[in-house]
Amino acid sequence: MRVVFYLIQKEFRQIFRDHFQLRIILFVPLMMLLVLGNALILDLKNVDLAIVDLDHTAASRELIRSFYASDIFRPAKHEVVPSNVETSLQKGLVDMVVWIPEGYARNILRGESASVGIFVDGSNANTAGQGGAYALAIIQEQSTGILQEKMDKNPRLAKLFHTIKPISRFIYNPELKSRYYMIPGIVVMIITVISGLISGMGIVREKEMGTLEQLMVTPITSTQLILGKLLPSGILAFFDMGLAIIFATLVFKLTIVGSLWLLFLSTLLYLMVTLGVGLLASTLSQTQQQAMLTVWFFLVFGILTSGFFYPLENMPPFVQTLTVINPLRYFMSIMRGIFVKGVLFSDILPDLGMMTLQGIIVLGLAINRYTKTAK
Amino acid sequence: MRQILAIAHKEVLHIVRDLRSLIVAIVMPIFMVLLYGYAIDMEMRDLPVAILDQDNSPESRELISRTISSDFIVDVGRLEERDQIETGFRRKKWKAALIIPTGYGETLSRNENAEVQLLIDGADASTAQSVNTYLNAIINTLNQEMMFETTGKRMAAPIQPTIRYYFNPEMNSATFVVPGLTAVIMIMICALLTSIAVTREKETGTLEQILTSPIHPYQVMIGKVLPYMVISFVDAALVLVIGFVVFHVPMMGNWIALILYSIIYLFISLAFGLLVSAIANTQQVAMLLALLATMLPSLIISGFIFPLTSMPKILQWFAYITPATYYLRIIRGILLAGRSWFPLEGGFMVVMAIGLMVLAVGRFKSRLE
Repeated sequence: MRVVFYLIQKEFRQIFRDHFQLRIILFVPLMMLLVLGNALILDLKNVDLAIVDLDHTAASRELIRSFYASDIFRPAKHEVVPSNVETSLQKGLVDMVVWIPEGYARNILRGESASVGIFVDGSNANTAGQGGAYALAIIQEQSTGILQEKMDKNPRLAKLFHTIKPISRFIYNPELKSRYYMIPGIVVMIITVISGLISGMGIVREKEMGTLEQLMVTPITSTQLILGKLLPSGILAFFDMGLAIIFATLVFKLTIVGSLWLLFLSTLLYLMVTLGVGLLASTLSQTQQQAMLTVWFFLVFGILTSGFFYPLENMPPFVQTLTVINPLRYFMSIMRGIFVKGVLFSDILPDLGMMTLQGIIVLGLAINRYTKTAK
Repeated sequence: MRQILAIAHKEVLHIVRDLRSLIVAIVMPIFMVLLYGYAIDMEMRDLPVAILDQDNSPESRELISRTISSDFIVDVGRLEERDQIETGFRRKKWKAALIIPTGYGETLSRNENAEVQLLIDGADASTAQSVNTYLNAIINTLNQEMMFETTGKRMAAPIQPTIRYYFNPEMNSATFVVPGLTAVIMIMICALLTSIAVTREKETGTLEQILTSPIHPYQVMIGKVLPYMVISFVDAALVLVIGFVVFHVPMMGNWIALILYSIIYLFISLAFGLLVSAIANTQQVAMLLALLATMLPSLIISGFIFPLTSMPKILQWFAYITPATYYLRIIRGILLAGRSWFPLEGGFMVVMAIGLMVLAVGRFKSRLE
C-alpha cells in the first residue's frame, strides 16, 4: 500500500510540474461547461422571418403580429417582395417567408379557407424543422381563435358542440429549458475525457521515454503500478466533476434533484470503464499519438451513440441495438436521471448493472493484457 | 521542387509505417458519416404513452381507443393510480401519460367541454415539446371528427397553411448532416495530422537536423504538409461520395466552385495545424490543442447542429471567427441551393487563410531563429 501511495505522489508531482497539463485539468472542465452550457441549446430563437403581405387588412396584420410576438421569429432585415422569395431563401438572406395572399381577410369572413404559404429554407437543419413546426402551430392557433370567435357569436352552434381540452403539464422541467438536460451530459463528457485520456497518456508516455522499463525492474509489482497510474486519474476525474458541479450550480443555477451518494457511486463504477479503456489503449499503443487516437476514436462514437445530442429512441433499431455495448449511454442516462429527475437506486439498477459489468470486463481485459506485456 | 518531393516522400513513409493512425484518419470519417447519417433523425416515432382512466365510461374508452390507434403511439398499458406515473418516468418506461379524470363522460354527454390531462416527462425539453405537439394534434383531430359527427357538416378551417421546404423538400436529415460533417472532418483531420507530424519531429529533435541540411525551411514545411493535405482532401471526398451514393444528398451547384472553396478551407486548416505545432512543444499538447481549436467550434458553434441565433452574443462572435461557419454556409449553398458565388463568406475565408498562414510562418521563424 505504501508503494502505491508513493507512486500516486509521483504522478501528482509530475502533473503539478507540467503546467500545461495542470491548466488542462483545471480549465478544460470550466471551459467546456461555460461554452457548451451556452451553446448546446436546441431551443430555437431569432429566426429571420420575412412576411409578404398582399392583403393589407386588419386580419393580415393580426397574423403578422402573432408571428413576431414570440422571440422565435424576428423581422428579417432583407426585404422580400413576391418576385424575390426564392432567391432570398437561396442566398440565405432570410430563413423563412410567410406569404399572405390577397383576399385573405375576405375568405375568412365568408367562412371559406384562406390559404397562407410558408416557405422555409430547408438547407438549414436548425431553422427548418423546428421553425416550420412553430410557424404551423402559430397559424393553427390563429385559426382556432377565429373559429372560437365565430362560434361565440352563434349560440346555437356553441350549445351543440363540445370539445376535449387537453391540459399539458411538464414534469421535472416546467419551463422546458434544454439546458437542464444538457449540463449533466457535459459533466459526463468531462469525466470521460479527463479520466480516459489522462490514464492512457500517462502510461504510454513512460513507455515512450523508457521510464516504464525502469519502473518494472524495481520491486514494484504490476498491480501496484496499475493502481498507482489509475488512481490519480480517477482522483482527478472526481475533482473535475466536483468543480463542474459547483460551477454549474453557481453559474447556471442548476440544482441536483437526486441523491449525491448515488451520484458518487455511479461515477465510481463508471470510472472503471474509462480507466479500463485508457489502460487498454495504452497496452495496445507504442506512442502517445496512437494511444490518443485510439481513445479518441472510441470517444467519438461513444458520444454520438450516447443520446447526448439526439435522443436514442429516434435512432434506427440497429443503431439502438449497437448502443447496448456503449457504457456512455448508461452513464448519460443515469446522470441525467440523478440531476433532473431524482431517480432512486432501484430505478437505475438495470443501467448501473450493465455499466458495472462492462467496467469489470474492460478493466479485467486491460489488466490481463498489461501484466502479459509487462512480462 | 525535387527537395519538396523528397521531404513529402519521407513523410509518406512515416504515414505508411504508422498504419493505425492512417486507418483512423481514413476509417473514422467513413464511420462518422454513416453513423451520423443513419442515427440523426429529428422525426419522433414510437412514443410510449401510459393511460390512467379514472372515469371508465364509454366516452373515455372511446378516447383511449382512438388515441392508441395512432401510428406513433405505443400503448404501454393502463395505470391504476397516479403515483405510478412518475415511477414510469424515472424508469423511462413512458414519456407521457394521459389522465382521464372522473366525470369526463358525464361532462361530455351534457354537451360541455371536458378536460383531460397530459403529463409529460419534461427532462428532455425538446423531446417534451414535440411529444406535447403530437398529443395535442391527436386530440385536435378527435375534436374535429366529433364536431363533424354532431353537426353533420365539416367546418372549414379559417386559415389553411401550406408549408414548403426549399432545397430539401423531404427534410431528409442526411442532407443536413453530410455537408456539415465535411466541414468538421476536413479541418479536424488536416489540423490534427499536420500539427502532430511537425511536433513529433520537434520532440524527437529531427526537425533541427533537417533544417540544418541545405534544404530551405519552406521546402521542408511544404513537403511535410503536402501528404496530409492529400489525406484530408481524400477524407472530404469520401464523406461526400458516401453522402451522394448512400444518402442521396443532392448536388445542385457547381463542382469547380466546390473544389475551389474547399481548397481555401483546406489552407485554413493547414495554417491552423502549423500554428498549433508552432505553439506546442509536445505531441500531447499539440493534439489537445488541435482538437479543442478545430473540432469543438466546428461541431458546436458553426451552426452545424445547434442554432447559432439562439446562442449568447459572445458565442456568436466566436462563431464568426470559426472557419467552419463560413465553409458550412458555402457547402450547403452549393450542394443544396445551387449557388456558386459567395463573395462574403469566400472573402472572409481568404482573409483567414492568409492571416493564419502569416501568423504560423511568423511564429515558426521567430522560433527557429
